[in-house]
Amino acid sequence: MTQQQGKIPPEQLRRKCDPLDFTFKTTAELDGRTEAAGQKRALDAIAFSMAIRHDGFNLFALGPSGTGKQTALMHHLETVAPKAPVPDDWCHVYNFEKPRHPKALRLPPGKAPELSGSMDRLVEALLTVIPAAFSSEEYQAEEKSIHEQLQERQAEAIGELEKKAADEGIALIRTPAGFAFAPIRKGEVLKPDEFMRLDEQKREEIEEKIGKLKTDLQSVMSQMPKWQRETQEKIDSLNRTIADFAVRPLVDELKNRYETLPDIGLYLDAVENDIVENFYQFLEKGQEPGEPAKKSRTFNRYRVNVAVDNGGTTGAPIVYEDKPACRNLVGDIEHLSQMGTLVTDFTLIKPGALHRANGGYLLLDARRLLMEPFAWDALKNALRTRQIRIESLGQLYSLISTVSLEPEPIPLDLKVILFGERRLYYLLNAYDPDFSELFKVAADFEDELEADPEGKHSYARIIARVAKENRLRHFSREAVARTVEYGGRLAGDSRKLTTRLQEISDLVHEADFHAESAGRSTVDADDVDRTVEARVMRASRISEKIREATLKNAILIDTDTAKTGQINGLAVYPAGRELFGHPGRITARIRLGKGEVIDIEREAELGGPIHSKGVMILSGFLGARFGMAQPLSLSASLVFEQSYGGVEGDSASSAELYALLSALSDVPIRQWIAVTGSVNQYGELQAIGGVNEKIEGFFDLCNARGLTGRQGVLIPESNILNLMLRRDVVEAVREERFSIYAAAHVDEGIELLTGVAAGKQDENNQWPPESINGKIAARLAGMAEKIRQYSANSETPEA
Amino acid sequence: MIIRRIAVAIDCSPHSMASLKAARELAERLQADIQGIFVEDSNLFRLAELPFSCEIRPYNQEPRVIEPAELERAVRRQAQKAESALLAAIENSTLRHSFITRRGLVPEEVVAAALESDLLVLGRSGKSPTCRRGLGSTAQKALVEGKKPLLIMRHGISATEEPCLALYDGSEGAEKALQAALFLTPPEALLHVLILENDPEEAWRMETSIREQEPERADAMEFHHLAGEDAKTIARFIRMLDSGLVVLCDEMRMAKEDIRELVSVLDYPILLV
Repeated sequence: MTQQQGKIPPEQLRRKCDPLDFTFKTTAELDGRTEAAGQKRALDAIAFSMAIRHDGFNLFALGPSGTGKQTALMHHLETVAPKAPVPDDWCHVYNFEKPRHPKALRLPPGKAPELSGSMDRLVEALLTVIPAAFSSEEYQAEEKSIHEQLQERQAEAIGELEKKAADEGIALIRTPAGFAFAPIRKGEVLKPDEFMRLDEQKREEIEEKIGKLKTDLQSVMSQMPKWQRETQEKIDSLNRTIADFAVRPLVDELKNRYETLPDIGLYLDAVENDIVENFYQFLEKGQEPGEPAKKSRTFNRYRVNVAVDNGGTTGAPIVYEDKPACRNLVGDIEHLSQMGTLVTDFTLIKPGALHRANGGYLLLDARRLLMEPFAWDALKNALRTRQIRIESLGQLYSLISTVSLEPEPIPLDLKVILFGERRLYYLLNAYDPDFSELFKVAADFEDELEADPEGKHSYARIIARVAKENRLRHFSREAVARTVEYGGRLAGDSRKLTTRLQEISDLVHEADFHAESAGRSTVDADDVDRTVEARVMRASRISEKIREATLKNAILIDTDTAKTGQINGLAVYPAGRELFGHPGRITARIRLGKGEVIDIEREAELGGPIHSKGVMILSGFLGARFGMAQPLSLSASLVFEQSYGGVEGDSASSAELYALLSALSDVPIRQWIAVTGSVNQYGELQAIGGVNEKIEGFFDLCNARGLTGRQGVLIPESNILNLMLRRDVVEAVREERFSIYAAAHVDEGIELLTGVAAGKQDENNQWPPESINGKIAARLAGMAEKIRQYSANSETPEA
Repeated sequence: MIIRRIAVAIDCSPHSMASLKAARELAERLQADIQGIFVEDSNLFRLAELPFSCEIRPYNQEPRVIEPAELERAVRRQAQKAESALLAAIENSTLRHSFITRRGLVPEEVVAAALESDLLVLGRSGKSPTCRRGLGSTAQKALVEGKKPLLIMRHGISATEEPCLALYDGSEGAEKALQAALFLTPPEALLHVLILENDPEEAWRMETSIREQEPERADAMEFHHLAGEDAKTIARFIRMLDSGLVVLCDEMRMAKEDIRELVSVLDYPILLV
């Protein structure tokens, strides 16, 4: 192949986008509505997942970040969600039977706050109504009457005893601590000496009487607790009647309001019973004046803790939880510190994103979700059991030891949409058996879209939306065309555009800045060019350092002469989000051996497995081409000169093969042509990545040394479609100051690099002697002969 | 009516605490001194010395022997408690006060201790074993002995906050009761006057006479007429009026027995003049 034959014409080096393809003058004319262009597969998956109502058909939207996954999802959801029914409200209330297990109540949308307000007002009203009822004259009289009944009963019993004693000449006397009997005369107790002066029979008689009276008094005393209990029961009954009378009309009013909701009716029944039982709370004056009742913890039990209020929601809710920590997802039970102790009640139950999204859609970033401790398990639990169970994390993991709550779980019915990188999706699929059960639908977002008119217009719409949403300058159609070209460059394919829309959005922002600096009201093509150049410039410190070292010959890269067994390969390096390419010298040396090709990079553990694989392929190629008639009697070593950071990838395998062929044929290689591309065992050249950066890297070096017109880069033919070169490179090619060559086979490449024909085997499997392959075959035959002779000499027995 | 010293019997029962409160209110209003009286019941000490003495305590069915020394200490504690109650009642006031403890039969000692006072205030009943609704022995003794003026209190009703009710039948005694009621009632406060007269015309005449005697207070007086003088009817009528302190005189036309019965059955503070 001659140099002219392999040259790629300039028009194939960069796909141009014609501004006249657009009908608008600036993006201000577009409405800014965007649809995810070129994402039909993903959009179909989204539509399917959102429509199917069965368990586990949750969605994982996968694709590189910045490809508009969230935008596409939101766009779809904003279409379907408003048509869906508004989900019910939920609230937590006190469980009067089991206080540690607060109840969850479901109400129609917007009714939960209403119930909460009603309950607060009920408590406020009862604080007036109940004290009024209990301070009424009727109640006071009734209570007094009951107490007097007890007094009368006691007085009657003791009075009878007192009378009976008096008839016997004995008085019942109140002592400081109780009662006692004593014989009296004229209202005075007998003195001991008077008593002793009585005859014995009389004394015994008195003592006997007193003994009997004591027994009677003990009998009366034993009745007193019973009478008091009976009195207390009457008082309790009266209190209940009064409290019920005061409470019932207010609670009945609430019941009527919620008569269609049986659960609320049952709850209000329990409230009514509890208030009647604990009416005294409303009589206590523990509250500070002016303190609203709802703030008092005494009445917390009658409050309603609204977990979900869908009163203002239209259709199904769409919730994006930016920080999907466990407590933010499933909610939490908070605690208050009181006198050094942690306490809680149902009013401290905090809802999570699952509550808010229940009946709708919950969007989560998979990476953030997985980064949060316990969040992934909590989400899976909720989806598997189809209910939200709020548990205090501290309690669950014994971090705190205090009384906590177990709220009644709330039924869960929602679609969870995770979005994240592909790697996360495949990792979850591989390592978490629950994942495939719970996320049955994957929406795989394309990295790139077709560079057809639709794709280009979608770019224009994206630019218009970003400009509109962020109040930036709109783009002229020339600027849009440049942006489309940049999108092609990022896609690494002239027929494609990148879907990494974040990059495009960033470009719109940066270009706006440059337009502002230039005093333009609209972003022009120059602003886009400056933006792209500035990006490259910002990331160019390392590439410039390397080029500077090369120009000073600290890094040896020859671009002028022809050398045997030496070639300029091309490598690409990441610098942040930008890539840059630079040539590296590859050399091959041969010697007598057993047919192996030694990869020095691998031997020094600087080469990655793919690179090693590429080198091994070279052995396969050489063996198949030259080792059929005789064993390969050589040892070859390959090295990336001045490479200290490791080498990975097989994009240099063709360059290594050229160096090897040069070394074997002893034909020098033109150092002004750099090479990239991988090769297979048949010698076919295969496409590699980063072709644009690699070409530009060599161009920059040559340009710095001065373009001679013969410098160029040899790439695999299959990489032509990936070409999206810088405008200055294309210009240099057009002016024939630089060349890009393409080859499909290693024979074409070696001809270009050496100027010597590769040669073809004749019918006798012989290579033309002056061809590269012929020279190699002859060299190998000579080496084989030397080996044979050496072996024969070394096997001759000593005389 | 001049009241310079008010004697109040204190045994720390609910009625006596009400007496103490009433005594303080009256003393403040009249700028009088207060004398607290506590009587150590001699019957208790005699009882303790009897060979079979023992007491039965509520909620404890086992009889317990009364030790004289222990009884002494318990009674002394009661006296201290009574004095503390007096001090607490006159706290934050500038009233002059004294407290005396006597030993003997309670009714006699209370009546005797109050001889030098202008008004004796005592509860309807003390710590009597029967928790009786009627008058206790001390009140009965004071009533029978004709100790006057005598204020008999019961707990739950204030002697000064509710309007007074004076019983009036045109007698000299009734006139004293009316004057006492006017003396104790602030000029602008309501005063009920219950005229006990079977003849309606005579009753109207009495009312007119009172109005003419007290033209400045007439507007604040509310007159009620009642025919019949038996204690139960009067008591029922007074309960219907539901006033506060009832003021009457034992030298009215009513029989002394009826007056005593009225005092006994009425559940209101009563001032006997």
